[in-house]
Amino acid sequence: MESDDMQDFAAEARRFLDAHAAKAPDRTAFTWGEGDDSMAYFSSLPPDEEREFVQRAREWQRIRHENGFGWTTGPVEYGGRGLTPVHDLLYDAVESEYDVADTGVLSVIGLGMIGPTILAHAQPHIKDRWLPAMYRGDAIACQLFSEPGAGSDLASVATRAVRQGDSWVLNGQKVWTSVAQHSQIGLALTRTNPDAPKHRGITAFLVPMDTPGVEVRPLRQMTGGADFNEVFLTDVRIPDDHRLGEVDGGWTVALTTLMNERATVGSEGVGPVAAALSPDHLSALMRATWTWDDRALRARLAELLVDVMATEHLNARALRKLRAGVAPGPEMSVSKLMYGQNLTRAAHFVSDVLGPRIIADTGQWGTYAWTELLLATPALRILGGTEEIMKNILAERVLGLPKEPVTAAAKEVRP
Amino acid sequence: MTADESELRELRSSVREFLEAKSPEEAVRKLMESEPRFDPAVWSQAADQLRLPGLAIPEEYGGDGFGLVELGVVLEEMGRALFCAPFFATVLLAAQALLASGDKAACARLLPGIASGRTTATLAVAEEHGSWDPAMVSARAVPDGDGGWTVRGRKCFVVDGTTADLILVVARTVAGPTLFAVEREAAGLTAEPMETLDATRALARLTLDAVPATLVGAQGAGGRIMARVLDIASVGLAAEQAGGARRCLETSADYARVRHQFGRPIGSFQAVKHKCADMLVQVELAEAASREAARLADEDSPDFPVAAAVAHACCSRAYMLAAMENIQVHGGIGFTWEHPAHLYFRRAKSSQLLFGGPAVYHERLLDRLGI
Repeated sequence: MESDDMQDFAAEARRFLDAHAAKAPDRTAFTWGEGDDSMAYFSSLPPDEEREFVQRAREWQRIRHENGFGWTTGPVEYGGRGLTPVHDLLYDAVESEYDVADTGVLSVIGLGMIGPTILAHAQPHIKDRWLPAMYRGDAIACQLFSEPGAGSDLASVATRAVRQGDSWVLNGQKVWTSVAQHSQIGLALTRTNPDAPKHRGITAFLVPMDTPGVEVRPLRQMTGGADFNEVFLTDVRIPDDHRLGEVDGGWTVALTTLMNERATVGSEGVGPVAAALSPDHLSALMRATWTWDDRALRARLAELLVDVMATEHLNARALRKLRAGVAPGPEMSVSKLMYGQNLTRAAHFVSDVLGPRIIADTGQWGTYAWTELLLATPALRILGGTEEIMKNILAERVLGLPKEPVTAAAKEVRP
Repeated sequence: MTADESELRELRSSVREFLEAKSPEEAVRKLMESEPRFDPAVWSQAADQLRLPGLAIPEEYGGDGFGLVELGVVLEEMGRALFCAPFFATVLLAAQALLASGDKAACARLLPGIASGRTTATLAVAEEHGSWDPAMVSARAVPDGDGGWTVRGRKCFVVDGTTADLILVVARTVAGPTLFAVEREAAGLTAEPMETLDATRALARLTLDAVPATLVGAQGAGGRIMARVLDIASVGLAAEQAGGARRCLETSADYARVRHQFGRPIGSFQAVKHKCADMLVQVELAEAASREAARLADEDSPDFPVAAAVAHACCSRAYMLAAMENIQVHGGIGFTWEHPAHLYFRRAKSSQLLFGGPAVYHERLLDRLGI
């Protein structure tokens, strides 16, 4: 049962979408041997296609913004709608029924995480300068957080920021920076006090990516493509008014960003990767490879499908809660964890079904293409919080288990 | 009828309150060593005060006409409390078999007694081999020449088979597997308890020696009836399993917060913490799978049979994992007879295998998907 307010909002979203987009094609329909057999999780587009892809994302975000769906949760003075995160998730769910441009390049990091951080911690003229531009699709933002020495333990960032008059000078290296090559701004965590306990010596800055000394280099990942970047900061001079939060108060700023990292309901049910998990696709693959009566493979297929469908049920129930105006519980975190595991198991199951056809390309449709997914799956258990960190979060926040005691060594910064 | 969220919460809390009072661990331990394996006084109270046996029986047959969603809430709580009662056999197996038979006369004759709690009932399908596939049934029924039937054969793994007042039996006629009703007191029927891994669920072996029986539904309809009953019963079982698994998770998390070793709560060690997180993941999936299947059943969705198979497999695995890890989180104390962890372990294993186990339910899922 949807609450009245939610029903009205969903209806309004549908009216907007009906006017500006086509309904998504039926993604469950599938015929073996027809269409594109790509199984890419990461985009790996040629540069000109990628530019076009980003342009389409900006364009669709602008249309959303002009129609009041660009920033559901944002304050009205910056062009937002002033509604709740539940409205936001509901909009995403409704939109997933339509065939619209993928705006992940703008939304996942920038609009979803950096926008709320700017809103909470930046000076008013900085908010004026960047927030409307971001939610209109003009400015893309990236997160200059991870470093070679600061992965799960983010608070050990070592990029230095040193004050010089009204400015700061930044030096260091960031890594695994998604969308940096398209970004106009980046949110950087830097070390401003190496002598303080590590959480208390960090300061956050908004870095215009065209500032001299900012160098973005593509980082080639194990799939062969380059979807992430390394960002080198060499004597990058940033005015003090671009600082977010207090000097040495950057950890609070980082927490705002991380708290806004959320799984989106319904968005995983689309694209070639969703097809990889569909019973139709997997059974067609088994028929095409003459393995459909192999008892051992059938048992593994059933086990895999049980997890895939139970995860879908979990998502469906979370979505129904949202529609009733209730914030979901741990379903989202569980779903993220299962998503990575399900795809990993699917990739290995399919590999075993294909046998040698996945180690060398025979040219047969829908076979060697699975290498793309197979090679991408390890990332799904690392990015956005490793599996181990996700489990800590579930155990501590949902089950109330105690945190690991903090040792003296864990408080120090080790450059 | 359909209950909304707040009514479901109310139902859950009244059932939980009832079971905490009537089925605490001491009561479960006492009953699992006695015959019958339930307390008739508590059963009457569950029927008279909470109207539980009739909850999902249609109003025309004396029930309250709710669906599997509401029944699921009750079963989650029963699974959580390891409630020893003829509920599962009576309400999920027998009553659902009667409803699935489409035999209105039999329903009108037999369901009101079940709905009121006066009649306990069960369903006898499996034989020595343990399969619930009606095609595997070798018990035979022949017309007695007087409009009735007589049944011969042996049945095993009959839930509450020594105490049920009414036994629905699948036996073979010339038309194929067929459902029959047999009364507890019928001549030629003997029932003996089987020793069980899980003492909180009684199982019996029945010998039927020319037992008078009444035909229920059409001759040869046993296959169709059983397909429907197994879908519904496995979703009911899944709810019980989800409830039991949730209880194991809570017990483990509670213990991991307070038990200290090496000067710190064991729950602060990642090895223990991650076990608990793994249990949480399984429990969340189990609840989603069983509740979603129940919802699809109540909506008469064509997706229900697939969802039922998913729920059965998902909840079976989740409960087994939670029950095993619960013992590991507790360490030595969890391995003692005095600790309730083994009761859940036993229930988890026996529930997983009651209808045949992974080899059967994985194929059932693929079959339902047309693979």
